[in-house]
Amino acid sequence: MTLEQRLAAVREGMRARGLDAVIALHDGTHFIETPNPVQMLTGFKSLGAAAVVVTANGEDPILVVTPAWDAERARERCEKTRVVAADDLVEGLVSALAARGRSLGIVGLPATPWALSGRLMEVLPQAASVDDWVYALGAIKTEDEIRDGREATRIAEVTYQHMIDIVRPGISEDELALELKWYSRTLGAEDNFLLLCAGSHNRAVQPSTGRRMQAGDIVLAEITPSCRGQLAQICRTIVLGPASAELKRKYDLVVRAMNEGIRAASPGVPMSAVCRAINAVLEAEGYGEFCYPPHIRRRGHGLGFAAISPGDVSLDNETILAPGMIFMIHPNQYLPETGYLLCGEPVLMTPTGAEPLTRRHAALAEIPL
Amino acid sequence: MLTMHPTLLIGSAEWQAETLPKELFLGRIAALWRGVDTTTMGAIVYGDARHHAELAYLTHFTPKLEPALALIPRAGAPQLLVGGGVNMLAAARPLTWIADLLPLRQPGKTIAEWVRTSTAGGAGGRPVLIGAPAMPWALHREIADALGADVADATPVLQSLMRRKQPSELAAIRRSCATLDAVMATIGEAQRDGASAASAVLAGELTAIRRGAQDVRSLVSIDGGRTLAPLDGARAQEVTADPLQFYVAVRDGGYWSEGFATLGRPHPAVDKACAALRSVLAQLQPGATGRAIADAIAATIAPYEWHPITAHSFVHAVGLDLAEAPEFAADNDAVLAPGNVYSIGVGLSDGGAQCAIASAMVAVADTGCEILWSACADEGLGEDR
Repeated sequence: MTLEQRLAAVREGMRARGLDAVIALHDGTHFIETPNPVQMLTGFKSLGAAAVVVTANGEDPILVVTPAWDAERARERCEKTRVVAADDLVEGLVSALAARGRSLGIVGLPATPWALSGRLMEVLPQAASVDDWVYALGAIKTEDEIRDGREATRIAEVTYQHMIDIVRPGISEDELALELKWYSRTLGAEDNFLLLCAGSHNRAVQPSTGRRMQAGDIVLAEITPSCRGQLAQICRTIVLGPASAELKRKYDLVVRAMNEGIRAASPGVPMSAVCRAINAVLEAEGYGEFCYPPHIRRRGHGLGFAAISPGDVSLDNETILAPGMIFMIHPNQYLPETGYLLCGEPVLMTPTGAEPLTRRHAALAEIPL
Repeated sequence: MLTMHPTLLIGSAEWQAETLPKELFLGRIAALWRGVDTTTMGAIVYGDARHHAELAYLTHFTPKLEPALALIPRAGAPQLLVGGGVNMLAAARPLTWIADLLPLRQPGKTIAEWVRTSTAGGAGGRPVLIGAPAMPWALHREIADALGADVADATPVLQSLMRRKQPSELAAIRRSCATLDAVMATIGEAQRDGASAASAVLAGELTAIRRGAQDVRSLVSIDGGRTLAPLDGARAQEVTADPLQFYVAVRDGGYWSEGFATLGRPHPAVDKACAALRSVLAQLQPGATGRAIADAIAATIAPYEWHPITAHSFVHAVGLDLAEAPEFAADNDAVLAPGNVYSIGVGLSDGGAQCAIASAMVAVADTGCEILWSACADEGLGEDR
């Protein structure tokens, strides 16, 4: 899949729906759970609000970039895209839309800040929301996104090794998280969704706080670098000191559950089957009640920042898996004996199954004190 | 200044009752009630990882991950609704003085119920929204639908209160500026040692982290100052720039400072930008308008043109947000208000290879202006610091 093929699929969908143009919006607030349709259709991760206009007639997409001074970066990044520099997105968009049809679709509006969306709706009152089908077209990653996902995974693994080297009792969660994010930037990541926390019995993985780590703590980390806008993630668990026999057994259990999930992920099967395979391992060990909310709601997720399709690894996701998809498989399970344990790998769907992008899979790490 | 917004805020944002007592926040809330209509029964305050200055001002809460809503009644105890589910509450609790934390679920229904119970007994009144401009369209619509009508936006009322920085706020900004200065010094050392543009800036970022900054962001130029860009892992990694032009923002104790600077060999445009910045700073007075400051900059940078980056943002207030209201422009009369802190940037360009930006952080008092940090403070721009 190339970006041009993705755009061709968007145009085909437009023709089927009678649309002259699709407008994709993003305000520059990059969040792991929120798709970025501008990046999905151009490859550009913006500083500020941006929009892209894709027309059914096949002309190059028009990318409106704010602030205007960031347009040169967009031109360098985006081939076969006409970049419009603007300091006001609405004004830039109106000028880009001139004489480009009356039947418009719009994607990204629900996440757009009210101050901006209100103005957009005034100038585009006829635009119809087309979020679902456009986002679905991002489920198959482009060759560039797959390349960047592999590189982000490499950075995640090297960062994890650095974490093992420096994590010790006395360091605060915040200090460790900041240091690791910085370290991943020295490796080439431009961002890192780094959830990290520690405790003797964690209820969940949470954003870091000022809590200082203690001997015996179980340290949880979702190391999630972004490389040229493509996220990858590894979920890891470290114990400060020797792990108890029970902790080792329970961690082996979640690893086994994850491996079953990876095995179940095949082209043509629904995403829900992956979740079901993970749950089955845990249910067989008597943890059925912990396989559902409020303890767990998903066993993985898509990886943006562009499209977050194919979505969550959850029982209610019937998306059919196909080669080219990238997503996380992570049991990330709360167990009453040990607390929350993190274990997860990013996978690429291939014609034969799910290929973990990691070189080394999750294993409980013990830090000698 | 706009930076590449990170997907997750990492860094200490915990509430320290000793330095920022609860009474400080109660005083701010009381001031808010004095500024809005007397029939206002409470405030719905929105904040997310990117836009949360108003929420932090009233609650000290920084939403590191998902958005949050504070429900602050005119009478009674406030609630903080935290995104991410019940498991996020433990991590949120140390970040705020508010005791009543709940998961942010079904916000429309929750807010409608809050209004109903808060106005029970005939109290009456309607809430106001704060932070509404940054609220996602879908959430704003859900709240409006739940309350049966659009809710008045009182964000400007609170923003006007936020303009006069309190002593604790000024202290935090001074600490932030001190860290900014240390960052600049580190970048200078790295640049002199031959580090690439990316390595030098990352060395500066590490200095900020080691000094306890909760956030640090940077932009760097590898084309002689014509443009600035975030480090993207590729472009700046191998490039050595001399002079090195860059931008750094540092957040400490919730408060930002920022600076454009150039380090390395002397360069005519850089020298001119520095001279212009010094001249503009020398003319600054409380009450100066955006129009007057723009005129002063234009006069001092001639024959150069405005740099595209500073053309539309040559002065703005800095505090809990990197760019606080009001917006200054060459054609408006927003004024430097006593009690507030500003970033002032002078950028120039000849349209080609001669480009430079220099900036300063300035605290405005009733009687004059204090330079908290300047790219051209001592040795001068373009010289080794």
